[in-house]
Formats: sequence, C-alpha cells, structure tokens
Amino acid sequence: MASTAPTLRLSRCWKRLLRPSRQQKTCVRCLHTALATTPSQFLPPPPPRLRSPFRILNDTTHTLSKKIKTYPPPPSHRAKHPFAVADWQAYHQKELDPTGSRTRLFDRNNPDVPRVGDILLVAFKTGDPFAGVCLSIKMRGVDTGILLRNKLHMVGVEMWVKIYSPNVMAIEVVKRAEKRARRGKLYYMRKPKHDKGSVEKEVEAYLKRRRLIRSGALGVKDSSLSVKNPASARSGVGAR
Amino acid sequence: MSTAVCHSCWQLPPAFLLPRVTFKHTSKRSIKSISTPQYNRFNKGQGLPRLGASSEAALERKAYTTPLRTGALGTKKGMSAVYDTDTGRRQAVTIVQMDRVQVVAHKTRDRDGYYAVQVGSGWKHPSNVTRPLLGHYAENGVSPKRHLVEFKVRDEKGLLGIGEMVGAGWFQEGQFVDAKANSRGMGFAGGMKRWGFKGQGASHGVSLTHRTMGSSGQSQGGGSRVLPGKKMPGRMGGHQVTTQNVKVVKIDDEKGIVVLYGCIPGPDGCLVKLSDAIKKPWPEIPTMTSGVQAAAEPLRATT
Repeated sequence: MASTAPTLRLSRCWKRLLRPSRQQKTCVRCLHTALATTPSQFLPPPPPRLRSPFRILNDTTHTLSKKIKTYPPPPSHRAKHPFAVADWQAYHQKELDPTGSRTRLFDRNNPDVPRVGDILLVAFKTGDPFAGVCLSIKMRGVDTGILLRNKLHMVGVEMWVKIYSPNVMAIEVVKRAEKRARRGKLYYMRKPKHDKGSVEKEVEAYLKRRRLIRSGALGVKDSSLSVKNPASARSGVGAR
Repeated sequence: MSTAVCHSCWQLPPAFLLPRVTFKHTSKRSIKSISTPQYNRFNKGQGLPRLGASSEAALERKAYTTPLRTGALGTKKGMSAVYDTDTGRRQAVTIVQMDRVQVVAHKTRDRDGYYAVQVGSGWKHPSNVTRPLLGHYAENGVSPKRHLVEFKVRDEKGLLGIGEMVGAGWFQEGQFVDAKANSRGMGFAGGMKRWGFKGQGASHGVSLTHRTMGSSGQSQGGGSRVLPGKKMPGRMGGHQVTTQNVKVVKIDDEKGIVVLYGCIPGPDGCLVKLSDAIKKPWPEIPTMTSGVQAAAEPLRATT
C-alpha cells in the first residue's frame, strides 16, 4: 500500500497543472448571458415538428378519423317482455288453475284470504287430509306455498303445501285466529311456550258443523259456510 | 546399412508377381438377437395407428363431442317451479331469456384452424364500443352487441349464416342442453368453505385455529415444500361452471323464454351459454331456422 502513495500524489499534481486549460472551464456561463450573446443563426435548428406550432392543425393530409357505419339493433324480446319469470308463472298458473280459484283464494284483495295464525285444512287427491296452524305464507306465483303445523301423537309435524300443486284438492279455513298476527311468519309457535298443540278438536268441530249444514239439519244454507271462504266455494277449491 | 536392407525386405513385390486373389471385406456389423422382441400392450408398436400431434388430428379426436350446430346466449332471469299435471310432482325450473341473439362472424378451418360461430346478444351503444370492434360489426353488417361468444361446431355445415337471428325456438322442448355460466363469486374463502376441509375441534385445547386448514404438507420427508395444487384458502367462485344435460321444459319463441329443469350456475341476471348437450344424442332438427340452410340436408346425429 505504501508504494501507491507517490503515484497518487503525482496524479494530483498533474490535475492541478492542467486545471486552467480544461475545456469545461471555459464553457461555464450564465443562462442570461448565453441568450443575450448567442445569435439565433448560430443556434442549432429545431426539429421539423417544432418549427411551426400551427403546422399540425393546417396539415390537410392529417384528416379526422373516418366514421364507421353502425347498424340499428333488431327488435328486442327482452325489452318487450321484461318480466320473464312472472310471464312463465302466469302461463303455468293458467294451466294448473284454469278457473283461477286458487289465485283468488290467496289474493290480497280477498277479505277472507287465509292469514297466518288461522287453522287450515288441506285435502289431497291421494292420502289423508292435513290440518294445522298456518305459520307462514310464501307468495311466489305458481310456487306459492303455506306452512302448516300440527301435533300428531304428541309430535310436532310441519308440512309445506304448495297451493297450485295438482295433488291439492281443497284448502279450507277451519278457524280464524282471534287476533291478527303481528308478524308475517309465526315461527315462534314452534317454541313450547307458544305452541298451539294439536288442532284435532277444532277440526272435529268444524267437520261436524259442516256435515250438519250440508244435511240441512241446522237450517242454514250451505252458503253460510262459504261466507268464510267465498272465493273457494265459488270455484270449488274451498268446499269439498 | 541394416535399415536399408530391412526396408527392401518388407516391401511387396511388383503387382504382376502377386497372386490374383480378391478378399471380400464388409465393414457392416450387427447384433444378433437371441430372443424375439416383446411388444407391450399399449399403443406402441407395429400395426397400430400413431397418435397425431397435429391440430388436424386434435380436431378429429374432438369431433365426436363437438356440436353440429351453434349454441345461444341467454340471461338467467330467476327460478320457479313446474308441476306435472299427471303425477303432481313438483320440479324446480330456471327461466332463461334470450335477447337479440345474432350470428356475428364465422371462424373457419382454413383461416382460423377450427370451425366456430361467433354469436352476439343484446345491444351496446356504438359510443361505448372500440373502433376496431365497431369495424368488425360494420364489416359483418350487424349492430354492436353487448356480449360476444364463440360456439365451436364440427364442420362448415354448422355455420349458420352471418346476421341470422337465433331465437328460443332454436331449442326444442324435451331436448337436453349444456348450460355454461360464471358461478357466483364468493370472494376470499377459507379452506373449510372452499374445499370442504373439516377444520379443527371446537375445544380440547384448540386455540384460535378452529377453521384453519392445518398443515400444508410434511417437512423433511415430503421434500420441505408445498406441493403444487395444494388446496388452500383463496378466491372462490366467479369462474365458469358447466351444468350438463339440462332438460328443456318449455320454449316461448315470442318472448324469447327458455325454461330449464333444475338449477344452472350463476346469479340472476348472469349470461348463460346454452348449447346442445354433448353427452346426449344430438337433437333431430328438421330444418334450421336459417333460411339459407333450410334447403340443406337436415342435421342428424351421425354417430
């Protein structure tokens, strides 16, 4: 390392000697003086695209983009029939319920529409009828269903009944709820505290009364029954 | 001196003094097999067709499952139910609506390497379409489309004319279709939801790792690395899913409605690609709805 020291010192010496004659030293100048002193003819010419700022705008060869022809869209099915699901449901409802009795029974404008909390009796084409407290009514067009809850042999039983199902023959209101339910879904009735239990007694009483009316022993017209459910009686869904 | 004598001794005598005998010598060598070669039972050896690595061979292999005609685009509108009036059986259905489905372009074997029909649906305002794509639509004389999808077909007979409309009547009641759609996006999901991992115990000393994936592999014995394809948490859903062999229940050509049995992937409002089911016999279409192809020979299942 000691041997390199004299050479380093020598180079420093050379640098000091050559400093006054270095080219860059003479080129150092102020910006102001440069602009003032350098004549424009000695400046390098600007690149061609910068020669005139108006050249691009005046250039006739550089035309605006060509317009592309567009074709009008064909007529739309979807815009004409935007509610495809409702359309399908209406179509299938008409197939399943040509008289419209089931639709009318569960129509909101029907004053005797079955509500949650009512005891309903459903008769099927095949199998035993099922009765229970209505816990929920799900309005879904052709997929509309009601949830009935009963107790059979001390066991709670629930059944979804699809009202448009061809298996369903009749839906009857056995007993109205004393008070209008303050909820849409009465799932709290599954809890032991609120459970209605078996509806067998109510159904028995209803069937007995109906038998008497039909036989004429009660001296009341059959239409009195249908007061409870005029829509169904009219079309045959509610009455058996 | 001695060396010079030796040299003259070893030299051959002149040619006319040598006997006229020619030795036949062959440089070819071979190995003689001591047992006959045994061919294995795989596709290798004599008399068997070789697997083609060319694109033609690939298309030929796929021809059996390539539909004869194009599919169509629809929008999933929602679900409902259908009842069998005889048995009373209820079946869930999906309602798909088709909107201005039109053939935009063709892909041909000569130019593109395969036959396909480019189909568009809906409409897009031209100001929202890029100029290259606008030029594509203008060249084929169709309006700008919202969705643009290709359906591969087996041969040029399946190329429906450009500009032809494909309505709900393209499908038949009772036929089977394959429905493709992008599934519902679940976002970033853990291993339990995404892959059905069991997770870990709720108690017995498990601390803060009840739903984690656990180990991702061995340490030294397994190479001290995570093997490719390890099932891990990540983005779930939002990819294309195909539901095969979906039966068509009902067609409403006027409203563009196609009613399908069961469920198909994707949320309501998603784009659904419907095409003839590849795992069922091709439907027998008496005539294609296209006027151009109507005179042509009816499409039938060939195999």
